[in-house]
Amino acid sequence: MAMFSQNPVLNGPNYSFAEVPKDAVDGLREHRFNPYTDNGGSTLAIAGADFAIMAGDTRLTSGYSINTRYAPKVFKIGGTTSSQDDANLLLSVVGYAADGEALQERLDAICKMYRYRHGKPMSVSACAKRLSTIMYQKRFFPYYVYAILGGLDEDGRGAVYSYDPVGSFEREQCRAGGAAASLIMPFLDNQVNFKNQYVPGTGVGHELKERERLPLPRNEVEVLVKDAFDSAVERHIEVGDGLQIMIITKDGIEEKVLPLKRD
Amino acid sequence: MSSPFSINGGACVAMVGKDCVAIACDLRLGLQALTVSNNFPKIFQYGDVFLGLTGLATDVSTVSDLFRYKVNMYRLREERNIAPSTFANLVSSSLYERRFGPYFVSPVVAGLDPKSGRPFICGFDSIGCIDFAKDFIVSGTASEQLFGMCESLWEPDLGPDDLFETISQALLSAVDRDALSGWGAHVYIVEKDKVTKRLLKGRQD
Amino acid sequence: MEVLLGITGKDFTLIAASKAAMRGATILKASDDKTRQLNKHTLVAFAGEAGDTIQFSEYIQANAQLYSMRNESDLSPSALAHYVRGELASSLRSRKPYNVNLLLGGVDPITHKPSLFWLDYLAALAPVPYAAHGYAQYYCLSILDKHHHPDMTLVQGIKVLEMCTDELKRRLPIDFKGMTVKAVTKDGVRDIEFNDDKVVKCA
Repeated sequence: MAMFSQNPVLNGPNYSFAEVPKDAVDGLREHRFNPYTDNGGSTLAIAGADFAIMAGDTRLTSGYSINTRYAPKVFKIGGTTSSQDDANLLLSVVGYAADGEALQERLDAICKMYRYRHGKPMSVSACAKRLSTIMYQKRFFPYYVYAILGGLDEDGRGAVYSYDPVGSFEREQCRAGGAAASLIMPFLDNQVNFKNQYVPGTGVGHELKERERLPLPRNEVEVLVKDAFDSAVERHIEVGDGLQIMIITKDGIEEKVLPLKRD
Repeated sequence: MSSPFSINGGACVAMVGKDCVAIACDLRLGLQALTVSNNFPKIFQYGDVFLGLTGLATDVSTVSDLFRYKVNMYRLREERNIAPSTFANLVSSSLYERRFGPYFVSPVVAGLDPKSGRPFICGFDSIGCIDFAKDFIVSGTASEQLFGMCESLWEPDLGPDDLFETISQALLSAVDRDALSGWGAHVYIVEKDKVTKRLLKGRQD
Repeated sequence: MEVLLGITGKDFTLIAASKAAMRGATILKASDDKTRQLNKHTLVAFAGEAGDTIQFSEYIQANAQLYSMRNESDLSPSALAHYVRGELASSLRSRKPYNVNLLLGGVDPITHKPSLFWLDYLAALAPVPYAAHGYAQYYCLSILDKHHHPDMTLVQGIKVLEMCTDELKRRLPIDFKGMTVKAVTKDGVRDIEFNDDKVVKCA
């Protein structure tokens, strides 16, 4: 029955505990606590010429159950107050929601302390390295999250940094994370970085010129984000309900929530 | 990693267009992470019907040979080519015959109905459950990536040229995000009385 | 740690196999021939589980020869490769499958086109310009990727083969006791003199 073991229904409801207590060889029953749950969901970030856009769906699942249809995955980081009106950074977390929230709170507290001590907000590159350190500190009991950090760099350009659960990070033009990352990422390669696109009539075979990579305007990027999530919702059961989008520009952070399919 | 479906790697996709269908596959054959051949096509033509097979390479060969034999026997008995929907049912029952010792393949069938000219595509699991689709079918180790690409690029009633561009972009971008697929591609565009086969180079890494 | 190598060129197919017959950590023989000739211009090299290799390759050899005698004509390398694959594939789902990896090389008797087939114990068959089996794949395929050319002459082919065996001597932890090298051309199978005593020093 190994081939069906991924099916949560056949293994009973999804507890944070490893299924039913197992009988060991000597007949002793062993209870084991599993500290992690996968809460599904997906995130996406794209850096533009003078903006960065971060998005995530708002469904929170465990197994086949939907725990809530509105659990935000994108957070403002580093404002002076709890309202985060003057925040200059965005963080998205997907994976295990409790770890995601813990990480978000920790990074926000650190950025707030930095602002209090230095009298200025933390730069996105500094925060990116700091986040990596925070995550690597828990190398052997990691935050079970795929994080993406967004903001504007020193030159005012959009910046996106993506992380694995133990803090390995990289600055990128775009990144998808979470349950539907494998569905969205090739789409982004194709539509944001124009991978596999060539200019017709510029030559034969290897002579063909690649389509020039230009930063996309904001309205086009917003359409891409919506399309990416509409596609992911269609084929992944853990993605849906709402689409939270945050856009950071020199004028601040704009937030909107669009509806996604709820089936 | 040791699942028989992902030892050799490979990807296949079929799409419906306006009075045409397209089917495409990658060309890689590997042993886990090691690439052994970059010329291992996974699409087989039987008269007017096309069969794409991903999964365990040995079963790709066995199953493709088996259906070549069965389709040839059908043509000798019936004195006509097999229709795509008939072939789909043949695939389904042949795979279910091996219910408790299956061929480790995920087949895809594409073709035009010989009478009505209507596009027909469908996919199967390894024991023959048919998935009839009006839009597209994906299979192989890059199936998740292909789902994402097809769901976002595909639209109804694409002409042959636009369908070729759509399926090619979908396949190439999908296999570039899968370490076990890629190394070139075959694309077939099937129209009434016309089949166009194109070879795509793609990334060689 | 058995080594099988195959290279095709302009008008030939080279097949090489290590001479060491091993069982566990012991070398039982240093002049083993891991090849069998199926007909005038088709040759297989094999490696795998001790008894299976000889049993299987002599079985297909016998059947290939039976075909040649009955029909007074030889099967092409491609036809033989597919026959061998079929036998190995049906063995795969039997009670005790053969555990044999093969390289099948030859020259088509009619078109004189050289060909090489890579076949593993799962009966996955692939026509290839050059091939290796076992650990040799990790050392040799990259060398062949760089230096192989489809229009190579036999002399050039042997030179590339020597680059491969040099690398194997340099990096494989066990001495494979040199190589039996055979070339298939339109005139049949021919033994190739190969210098096994060349010493290659590791960096």
